[in-house]
Amino acid sequence: MNRPSRPSEFELVGRVTIGQYLPTNSQVHQLDPRAKLLMVLLLAIGVVASDSLLGLAILLGGVALCLVSARIPLGYTLDGLRPALPFLLLLALLQILVIPARGPCLRTVWEWAFFSVTDRSLLAGAVLALRFVVMALGISLVSFSTSTTELTHGIEHLLRPMQTFGLPAHEAALVVNITIRFLPILAAEAERLLKAQASRGADFGPGRFGLLTRARKLLPLLVPLFLISLRRADQLVEAMEARCYLGGKGRTNLIQLRAHPRDHLAVLATSMVVALVVYLGSIDVEGLILSSILPCPT
Amino acid sequence: MSQPDTLISVQDLAHTYLRGTPFEVPSLRGVSLTVAAGRTVGLVGPTGSGKSTLLQHLNGLLRPQEGTVHVLGDSLTDPSINIRDIRQRVGLVFQNPEDQLFEPYAGDDVAFGPRALGLERDQVRERVRQAMEAVGLSFDLKDRLTSQLSQGERRRLALAGVLALEPQILVLDEPTAGLDPLGRRSLLDFLSSWASDAKRAIVLATHNMEDIALLSDDVYVLVAGKIVLSGPARTVLQNADVLLQSSLSLPVSVELSRQLRRRGLPVSTDSLTMDEATRQIEVLLRGDS
Repeated sequence: MNRPSRPSEFELVGRVTIGQYLPTNSQVHQLDPRAKLLMVLLLAIGVVASDSLLGLAILLGGVALCLVSARIPLGYTLDGLRPALPFLLLLALLQILVIPARGPCLRTVWEWAFFSVTDRSLLAGAVLALRFVVMALGISLVSFSTSTTELTHGIEHLLRPMQTFGLPAHEAALVVNITIRFLPILAAEAERLLKAQASRGADFGPGRFGLLTRARKLLPLLVPLFLISLRRADQLVEAMEARCYLGGKGRTNLIQLRAHPRDHLAVLATSMVVALVVYLGSIDVEGLILSSILPCPT
Repeated sequence: MSQPDTLISVQDLAHTYLRGTPFEVPSLRGVSLTVAAGRTVGLVGPTGSGKSTLLQHLNGLLRPQEGTVHVLGDSLTDPSINIRDIRQRVGLVFQNPEDQLFEPYAGDDVAFGPRALGLERDQVRERVRQAMEAVGLSFDLKDRLTSQLSQGERRRLALAGVLALEPQILVLDEPTAGLDPLGRRSLLDFLSSWASDAKRAIVLATHNMEDIALLSDDVYVLVAGKIVLSGPARTVLQNADVLLQSSLSLPVSVELSRQLRRRGLPVSTDSLTMDEATRQIEVLLRGDS
């Protein structure tokens, strides 16, 4: 997607895409929030448990399909990934160059001094990058298609069984809710402070100075930001108590979550795909494919 | 391009927030505005009309997406201009600037700008002293913690922080909002004396019509990102139809004169301040007796 020419170096609010809700009212939006949370949990299991490139590609395809059917512009989603890209590339590069790959048969692709790049390490690098992308897109999908209220109710419901072990489900969900709610507020406050300081001669241009100077220039930003958040938290407590908030006990919900057949179906389909992906990882499908094309060097 | 005494010239400026995302919000839709030396320009408009967005274009915090902004001869569309120089010459005071103080000590906060300019210690100290005294704060307060100052003092301190840059143009967003009557009065007095230098100019955005009536030479009415009315303060502030339609109010003096006229009393509606209105009424009373 084309960025407008020099929008403003200060547009922070627009850059925080995670935690945003895009009300396009699609099929995905109408799914039960609990189903979506379970699906993203399953996705996480698949992403962590499987180190198969093919498997991860299947997951990526699945998430992309959901994004399209949720009518969320792909470019907008990918924009949110952009800031993480340099770190991701660096990590993948480290994985490829530094971490020695293990396996029954390694084919060396490139060798120089201490570094030796094998087919396995290339695979591992790609898997690492793909893992991150799949997970980030999956989480974005849930946040784009689920309102904060739905999300909070979903979390509360899913945590309810844990109450027998003493976990305060309602309070935990509330913490998540407030955290997400405060993200854009803090971004807006930070933007205001940045602008005020830039107006007084501070230089915040992106990437114009080293890490240390950058950190030093951020300090005058963090101090008032902390003060503002503390003050906001204080006001929030007062506002909640003024409306007789007493915590989770005995609270009823206006919106009762009801799972439909399609929610069960969606979770079931996801678990099957994830099971397949984990299976692909366990049989080392890439190793099999490679061995069938290239002979093992001895 | 413009007359020599034109400090700021905005032509057909348009701005859309979050452009290129599903959250696009059009804010300005073709605004033109001129600030001449020696003038105080009032910008009135209801909340959300784009006042703050327009102000942020005046010192280059935002660059024009469409249209042009010329500030002191430089075009903000040109990426190679010295933007810090412009921000120094156009001092922007945000809404509730007292929330943006970040140094623990009052003096350090005022010194932030001059230090960023790279001035010598003595010069910084002198600038801080001058700026603090200009806004009516004793220089001794510099060693006080900002948290110990009253809200009015903190707002004046924030203003001093901008004045310490020695700007030629002062741009203020709702400067009197939330001040007590005395604080408001002294701030307005300061602004009108600051503006008396013919080289300087003030741009003032507010929905407080009294402030506008007291200070402005020219007034622009901004509604939903468009200028719906502009001209000399005396003409604009009497245009009750447009102002009331724009969810704005009339200055009390204009409203008073209107009510008197409606009751058939021969007063003119062009009194902008309470002093002028009082004089008219005095004349009226004397004529009656």
